Amino acid sequence: MAKDLHLVGFRIGRETFGVPISLVHEIVRVPEITAVPEAPAFVEGVINLRGKIVSIVDLRKRFGEKEITQNKKNRILVVEVESKMVGLIVDAASEVLRMSAEQVENPPNVFEDGELNYVTGVGKLKDRLIILVELTKVLQKGELKRLGELGAMA
Amino acid sequence: MSFFSEDRVSELKDLFFESAAELLQALNEQGLELERRPTDAEVVRSVRRTVHTLKGDSAACGYTALSDLAHELEDALTPELAKARGKRVAEVVLGAADVFQDMLRAYRKNSEPPSGAGLFAEIRALVSRIEAPELTVLAPAKKAINKFEWSEYEKILLQDAGRRGLKVLQLSLAVDPNCTTRAVAWQMVKNTFQDLGTVLLMLPEDAASMEKVDNLFAAIASSFDAEHVAKKCRIPMVICDVVVERLSASEAPPVAAEMEKKDEAKVVPSLPVEEASNDGEPAELGTASLSAAPESTLRVDAEKIDAVLNLVGELIIGKSMLTQSISEFDKKFGRDPLHAKFADVLGFQARVLADLQKSVMKVRMVPVEQLFRRFGRIVRDVAKACGREVRLELAGQNTDLDKSILDTLAEPIAHLVRNAISHGIESPEERAVAGKERFGTVRLNAYHQGNNVVIEVSDDGRGIDREKVIKKAIERGIIQAGEAKNLTEGEALNLIFHSGLSTAEEVTSVAGRGVGMDVVKTVLDRLKGSVAIETEVGQGSTFYLKVPLTLAIIKALMFRSAEKLYAVPLTSVVEIVRATEAEIHRVDQHEVLRLRNEVLTLVRLNRLSGQSEKKSKIFVVVVAVGDRKFGLLVDKLVGEEELVIKALDHHLVSTELVSGASILGDGTVVLILDVQAVVSKLGRARTQEIKSAGATA
Repeated sequence: MAKDLHLVGFRIGRETFGVPISLVHEIVRVPEITAVPEAPAFVEGVINLRGKIVSIVDLRKRFGEKEITQNKKNRILVVEVESKMVGLIVDAASEVLRMSAEQVENPPNVFEDGELNYVTGVGKLKDRLIILVELTKVLQKGELKRLGELGAMA
Repeated sequence: MSFFSEDRVSELKDLFFESAAELLQALNEQGLELERRPTDAEVVRSVRRTVHTLKGDSAACGYTALSDLAHELEDALTPELAKARGKRVAEVVLGAADVFQDMLRAYRKNSEPPSGAGLFAEIRALVSRIEAPELTVLAPAKKAINKFEWSEYEKILLQDAGRRGLKVLQLSLAVDPNCTTRAVAWQMVKNTFQDLGTVLLMLPEDAASMEKVDNLFAAIASSFDAEHVAKKCRIPMVICDVVVERLSASEAPPVAAEMEKKDEAKVVPSLPVEEASNDGEPAELGTASLSAAPESTLRVDAEKIDAVLNLVGELIIGKSMLTQSISEFDKKFGRDPLHAKFADVLGFQARVLADLQKSVMKVRMVPVEQLFRRFGRIVRDVAKACGREVRLELAGQNTDLDKSILDTLAEPIAHLVRNAISHGIESPEERAVAGKERFGTVRLNAYHQGNNVVIEVSDDGRGIDREKVIKKAIERGIIQAGEAKNLTEGEALNLIFHSGLSTAEEVTSVAGRGVGMDVVKTVLDRLKGSVAIETEVGQGSTFYLKVPLTLAIIKALMFRSAEKLYAVPLTSVVEIVRATEAEIHRVDQHEVLRLRNEVLTLVRLNRLSGQSEKKSKIFVVVVAVGDRKFGLLVDKLVGEEELVIKALDHHLVSTELVSGASILGDGTVVLILDVQAVVSKLGRARTQEIKSAGATA
């Protein structure tokens, strides 16, 4: 039992990703976002979350998703990373997944270096694959900066 | 220490660091006092009390290196020593304060403390030179001087002896290592004491426990003087070392921290003895009753206050939400009798809220004295290093300022003070030639001015030579020779804030690298403050540091640009004017507007969101940056409001253009622009754009 993983599953494009439920504060609809000048491309801006200013990252842009559609299903996952609150825009988020440690496999070698080292494992749930990501790495400063520079060059 | 939980230990250590910082400050002040009056026994004792407390506290936290050093220093410090060695003692004390500081810093970081060997040697040297001629036998391993724990009963005895005109002498006798019959020795000493006067206290208490210890401690009330007593006590083959210290009846000696001796050292069992606290708090006869008085000061974690302030911020947001809803209500039911009631209640609530905000702010406020006190030491050290004679004058110490602002200001003010002494104030000889007092004066002053606090750092030295500054600036390539003529007085002086510019002829350890003034400017900018200079050659200069009372809540002007809402601090807004596109001219790669007799450089704010659409009618918000004015072109003015500043997550959205964000009554997020950064960044971009446009054309 103790080894069971509780994950919040969210969708970006066609894939389902999972993050530990303990990191997720709440899931909210996308409100009006205030853009911040000079911020990196995938930082959408800031929102007012009941009196707190929370930075918003478009995880779809971060994951390099080509087609970004704004619709009613879009959600913001408010997560805590390094004791800071960050909002992540995802295509949809609705389910809580529970899986045992045996159902999770280490990420294929392909993921280990470079771009995708934020993938910590791949979970098999019935016939679906859940990609487990580590948010600290996704939002690492150096990583974001590098991406920002890449974006600026393009 | 093992019986404490981890939490408890770290809490204890936090407390220790806090109190240690205060002790160090006190030690610095007392050291300076000692330098002024080296022969004043009272000052020496106050230094010793401070060192003693530090020793006790650090020992309790297990910082042995520090407590050992403190112990050594405490032992060395006697009024006799101070009398004999004069200012040298003060120097060692101040040096020790520095060493302690370094050690504390290391402890705080959990790293190995720097070695105190140098200080150790210095203290030893200090003591040995005075002790050598006086004592026949040197017993280096034995610390002859010691203190007692005085019970209430003994304190009464002391006072009584004082009233009868007897001298109270504190004795410390080292038993000769060759003495084999210690119990006999004890009796001999006791007999000697009784011949001399009344024995108030004697440790060990009985002859039997004498076998275990090497030192005898006693206090006697006697009509003989200290020398006579010392001579009498030095019994050949029994006692090899005697130290006699005279205590005035009005004060009790510091409580001993010799914990290992405690077991044997409990005295006067017939009376209810109040356990002397062993945490090293100095107990004085005169103030003993004071400690029972209720504490009126609380030490509160700054974070807790910030949390309250945050909530007040939320309330203010709530207030504007309410105001907005009610104005909507008014629009719908303007004639409803409820309207007046709402207005009343709202007014009341606003008043209470304003008071609440003020009160919480006050909690965060601390008098600038906390900062000013530190400068006694800095002035002394720098003056000494530069061969100047300088007096420090303080004024307005009671002016309150936000704690975090005050802490941030410490460094810039220290730079200014150092500069004032090393560059401003002349050597005593030069001053004599100029017909000035031998002592130069550095003055720190603080006062309120509207919503700001002004801190003045002034000196009566040689002042800043404008021409010299300009010459240097041209040499270093900061300005072009041609530009020099157009500089206003203020602009020329402001050149000294450029990094790399120093008017000092030579670089010293104190100042002259031209880095300091740069720091002053940067910090003041960050605090949304400003710095101004007033100087007269030969008369001295004054720096005015102007900072807001608090950083948490500001009055701001809100406007829209390209449909986006922004705010700028109202303090930087000079005026607002309307203009048409036709009135805007291009001069020297800048867009400018003529406003009365001035020419303003304009900054288009819609460039923030990457737009460059032009409207025929525009608003120009005139802002002051330093002593220059700029015009911000905005689309629409929204109004003035009190904004509670919330920090942006610099980790993700790091931009210098935005200094913070705030939430309005309707929940909208508004970005607060850093005027300085916007002007310099967008102003510069403007130039580049035109250049590149020129290149393509």
